[in-house]
Amino acid sequence: MVILIPMPAGSASRATRGLYDAIESCPADGIVMIDSSWDQGMRAENAAQLECVVRHLCQRRIRFVVTSLGTVFSPEFAQKTIEPIAAEVGYVYGRDWVNTGYVQSASGLAPVIDSLARDFHKIRQADVRGTPIGDLPLMQHVRTIRDIHLVYVVTYAPSPEWISFVRGQFGTPVAFGCMSIMAPNYYTYIDSKQLSGMLIGNRGAAEYEALIRAPSLGTRLSMAASFGNLAIILASIVGNLGMWAALRARRRAT
Amino acid sequence: MRRRVVWLLTFLGGLFYLLEFLLPARAPDWLGGFENPLTPCLPSVTSLLVVVGAMAFLLGPLNLARSHLGTLLRRRPGRLESLVFLVFLVASIVAASCEGADIHWALDALYNALFYGVQTAFFASSMALLAFYLVSAAHRAFRINNLEAGLMMASAVVILLGQVPLGDWLTQALPESLQLRHAAQWILAVPNTGVQRAVEIGVCGGAFAAGFRQWLGLGARAG
Repeated sequence: MVILIPMPAGSASRATRGLYDAIESCPADGIVMIDSSWDQGMRAENAAQLECVVRHLCQRRIRFVVTSLGTVFSPEFAQKTIEPIAAEVGYVYGRDWVNTGYVQSASGLAPVIDSLARDFHKIRQADVRGTPIGDLPLMQHVRTIRDIHLVYVVTYAPSPEWISFVRGQFGTPVAFGCMSIMAPNYYTYIDSKQLSGMLIGNRGAAEYEALIRAPSLGTRLSMAASFGNLAIILASIVGNLGMWAALRARRRAT
Repeated sequence: MRRRVVWLLTFLGGLFYLLEFLLPARAPDWLGGFENPLTPCLPSVTSLLVVVGAMAFLLGPLNLARSHLGTLLRRRPGRLESLVFLVFLVASIVAASCEGADIHWALDALYNALFYGVQTAFFASSMALLAFYLVSAAHRAFRINNLEAGLMMASAVVILLGQVPLGDWLTQALPESLQLRHAAQWILAVPNTGVQRAVEIGVCGGAFAAGFRQWLGLGARAG
């Protein structure tokens, strides 16, 4: 029921505004790369974070490439999230957006990110549909990370190696979308401006939706998060009252 | 002998990535101005790494299948669960790998039933249960029995409310600098950032030492 009650987000935080500005500064012929590495376990927060950024890219007619370095299920979830939005605005697969699918990185994320940044076509030979990467019109404009305006990584806990190997080596801006619980780890990178922006949980998605004037999943889910957090606070208060009552009873007994 | 081969491969792999990263992309002109000779090999070496990693995807199910098959054949306790596992394993492999077959529509239906109907629902349910566990843990863990615990509880309440619209709503009548979201942002951006930096520096030092020991085969299990 709480999902059905919309509660508008307040003004956007610095982290959310940073991602919005990074996409706003993208030229019309620019290309954005999205690493969508979430699956059913992370859907509650990451789905809204992907949806709002894709919606913004579509509003600005910016082309984008999707990869998934996280889990084998991630490309399917990304596809299901993006396809309806792309169809709504007339984005053509292969020309305006591409889903390159799962890139196996279980043996180490750093070398895979590094190699992907240097030569995309050598790491991914085909997209999720099995089409050779070179045959897709959009991918003819993407060879290295220098051809990308911004990398947006959306997953449970994005790896700082994106910052080391993409932002550090090539200067391509990087932004994250992460679970609320993981956000404290990344504030150092926002402060040092190594991260261009970050969406924190559904709150970040709701703020972003307010910025692009398209309230959707994030706005609805951030209300549910409000009640979830409230339940934790109430449980703590009840637990403490119980503890104090027990202590008082023990003191009286002795 | 096997350990030495493992150590040698680890050492060479580490040396390749270290040199490729540390050597400049282009040598100074007085040295001939040549390009880093290791860089062109990087995607190929990474592809090798990806292939080695992909082997784990085969080893995992093989080990599980062997273990559950053993339980089933020897009629050990838990054989019903083993049977369920094996049926789902075989069905998933068949449904996901027979693309282009004549009965493609049936396999698609099977795949959708297994993936969205069973796997996705089970996984999402187990993650949702974590939320209840979290509330239950908060009930027991946030015990204010000293000043430090009180401070932690206070900052947790500010962060929990400041990160959701409810916090905005509760303090919307106050001046902006006194609103919960500003207090939460301050905690995250100032004390939290300082602590995170200190932790990161410590972790990086430890990771460097551990990586160096592993690379040179000085670890307990190496060499």
